[in-house]
Amino acid sequence: MQYQHHPWEDWPDSELPTRDALPIEVESVDLSLSASIFATGWATLLNRAPKIGIKRASIDAALPGTVSVRLRRPKVTVRSFTFPESPSWMPQADRKASPTNRGPSSGPEAKHEKPTHEKATRIAPPGDVIKLQDRLYYVLQPSLESLVSSNELAFPFEPFPYQFEGIAFLYPRYSAVLADEMGLGKTMQAISTIRLLLYAGEVRKVLLICPKPLVSNWRREFGLWAPEIPVAIIEGDRAKRQWQWTDLDVAVRIANYELLMRDRDLVVDPQGHFDLVVLDEAQRIKNRSSTTSQVVRAIPRTRNWAMTGTPVENSPDDLVGIFDFLSQGYLSPGMKPRAMAKATREYILRRTKDMVLTDMPPKLFRDAELELSPEQYATYQTAENDGILRLEDMGEGITIQHVFELVLRLKQICNFDPATGASCKLERLEADLEEVAASGQKAIIFSQWVHSLERLRDSLRRFGTLEYHGKIPSKQRESVIDRFKNDASKHVILMSYGAGSVGLNLQFCRYVFLFDRWWNPAIEDQAINRAHRIGVVGSVTVTRMLTLGTIEERINQILQEKRELFDAIFSETGSTPSNAGLTQDEIFGLFNLRTPQGPIKKAS
Amino acid sequence: MPDTTNHATSNLGFLTVCEQEDQSLFGGLLVLNISGRPLEFHCTAPVRPNRAQEILYGPTLRPYLYGEQIGRALMERLSAAPALVFTDVEPALALRPLTKVPVVYVGAESEPNASSSDLTARIDAPHPTPAPSGSMRLQRFRLGPWQLAVPQAHAGDESHVVSHWQSHADDFDLSEPFGRIREAIEEARRAAR
Repeated sequence: MQYQHHPWEDWPDSELPTRDALPIEVESVDLSLSASIFATGWATLLNRAPKIGIKRASIDAALPGTVSVRLRRPKVTVRSFTFPESPSWMPQADRKASPTNRGPSSGPEAKHEKPTHEKATRIAPPGDVIKLQDRLYYVLQPSLESLVSSNELAFPFEPFPYQFEGIAFLYPRYSAVLADEMGLGKTMQAISTIRLLLYAGEVRKVLLICPKPLVSNWRREFGLWAPEIPVAIIEGDRAKRQWQWTDLDVAVRIANYELLMRDRDLVVDPQGHFDLVVLDEAQRIKNRSSTTSQVVRAIPRTRNWAMTGTPVENSPDDLVGIFDFLSQGYLSPGMKPRAMAKATREYILRRTKDMVLTDMPPKLFRDAELELSPEQYATYQTAENDGILRLEDMGEGITIQHVFELVLRLKQICNFDPATGASCKLERLEADLEEVAASGQKAIIFSQWVHSLERLRDSLRRFGTLEYHGKIPSKQRESVIDRFKNDASKHVILMSYGAGSVGLNLQFCRYVFLFDRWWNPAIEDQAINRAHRIGVVGSVTVTRMLTLGTIEERINQILQEKRELFDAIFSETGSTPSNAGLTQDEIFGLFNLRTPQGPIKKAS
Repeated sequence: MPDTTNHATSNLGFLTVCEQEDQSLFGGLLVLNISGRPLEFHCTAPVRPNRAQEILYGPTLRPYLYGEQIGRALMERLSAAPALVFTDVEPALALRPLTKVPVVYVGAESEPNASSSDLTARIDAPHPTPAPSGSMRLQRFRLGPWQLAVPQAHAGDESHVVSHWQSHADDFDLSEPFGRIREAIEEARRAAR
């Protein structure tokens, strides 16, 4: 390679020579490199052909072992069950919006809310349903919540979860005791279950038996919870009743216990078979030898339910009487509470408000412990001393009836002095009622005696007083309740324990006064729960009136101890409470009298 | 298997498979009328895959057992075909090619979408895993409050489901019958002991 150097590159521009005048001088330099090849002999090797050697190998060796896995189809065994198609709860065309709807359905948000429920209450098959087909029939029914929400059945109010459980309990059972505490809605649960059974075609003819004062209440509740179900009240003259028993085509008949006695021949006629017989206030048949018990046991029927808030009023044997209606001989008198609880567990459902209504307003007890007025005290002392002397003079001839008479006499004096009409309880009551009326509230006053209530009526007239007891004709009672509920000027209703302690819904009352005390706490509870029940809007104040140093205080002390014992046994066994009323020994003990030797003649 | 070309019936089938702790499977098929009342119930004895099936079927084992074996065996026992069969177990959709009745998966969650935001994967976040090879591609759709899915190979089922079920979607709780089936299977198991 050569490099030529041009000398004008060093000249300044102004002095550059022109092309013609430029002298050309070329200097050449040789840049080439010299290379020599060494003789290694590799090129010769590359040209030499490779040497290939051949080695023989036998291919007759054993073939690889194989394992075959047969993938058989798994055998699938299927069991099949078919069920009769029950009619729909309600024809599609008849569906109408109910208050239980999940709100307006016009907005898109409402339309796309999943119709699901946090809890699904299904009908659980009872233990005595053995056949799998029958058990599955119950298990596969839709949940009760879905029935309500889907408008298949209209309900005026959304039932409480425990009420769904009550319906699920009753529905499949041929024998059942619904023993919820008063005020939890046993009536609604029974009516709703009857309704479902009627729609499912499982029953067609139902007889409901209740105390006479409660007939109108049942009719009203049927109108509320099952308005489409035809209901007939058995009443009127003999000819009309005979027609109602035998010829009337109606799904539900309602009869009272008293009437049952008169129509015995009609009721127990085998031709008049009932699919379901329901006894309300079933403690009425706790005495197994009573005529009432005998008649209800003789009614031809397929299913039987008993309803009572007090399945055991005085002794566990009360339950034996109720079970003789459900399944005669299933329980026997004298059974131990534990054995009885175990035997009946499958058939009894009992819930208390404490168990299921944890957010219900409280029930406040206030014991008004009062000193007798001087007039009352003098009369009381004379009566007690004379009475005890007379009892002691009787010696072996004394009976419990004699003691009872003295107790009643003294309790009446504690209410009013018979000579002067003086009453420490009335004075206190008037003072309390002033406050109740001034605040626009309403109160129930309970007494054991109608004549005590009548005396109260005269003294409390200014509070707008109404009466509800045995002297008020049955036909008027419903209107009395309506007036008490709707008339703002009526602040007080006077009730006897007998007439007013069961089946009434008076949850608009915030005050209950027990002017005197009943023998049995269960009856008092029933009375109090007229006001403290579902729907109550505030706390209920219960005032228990008690005169100090009297027979009332002694009875109260015994009953208090028994209530504590009752609670202890009940919570332990889950079922049967102990004796809750007063025993013969305890009644004698009220006056420090001893039970006479030998058997005591029973009080009538 | 009953002829299902005529869908005049308004009855509905509900199919589920319960897997027990010992890995045995119990299938249940409940047929309800439009009011939710039971008409037929069929359930299987326990089905348990053997080890070879577990290995060789791999991810296709569940669709094979749920749909092709259990689902088909149950459908074959029906006295009349329902209009639709709902299931709450996705592998049971493998029944669909074997029947003329649309099989609908209830409770299908939204499909993992491939939106642009997903294209930029963060290295510190788990990457979306591909669907197992045994699972079926689904056609997802919403009907009233319910998120449903049918096999994409039977995408035409969607219009059938919509036309048949549109008016009931708001009232009928499609998830509730599966609870009944599970309780019934449990009841049948207790009875068999």
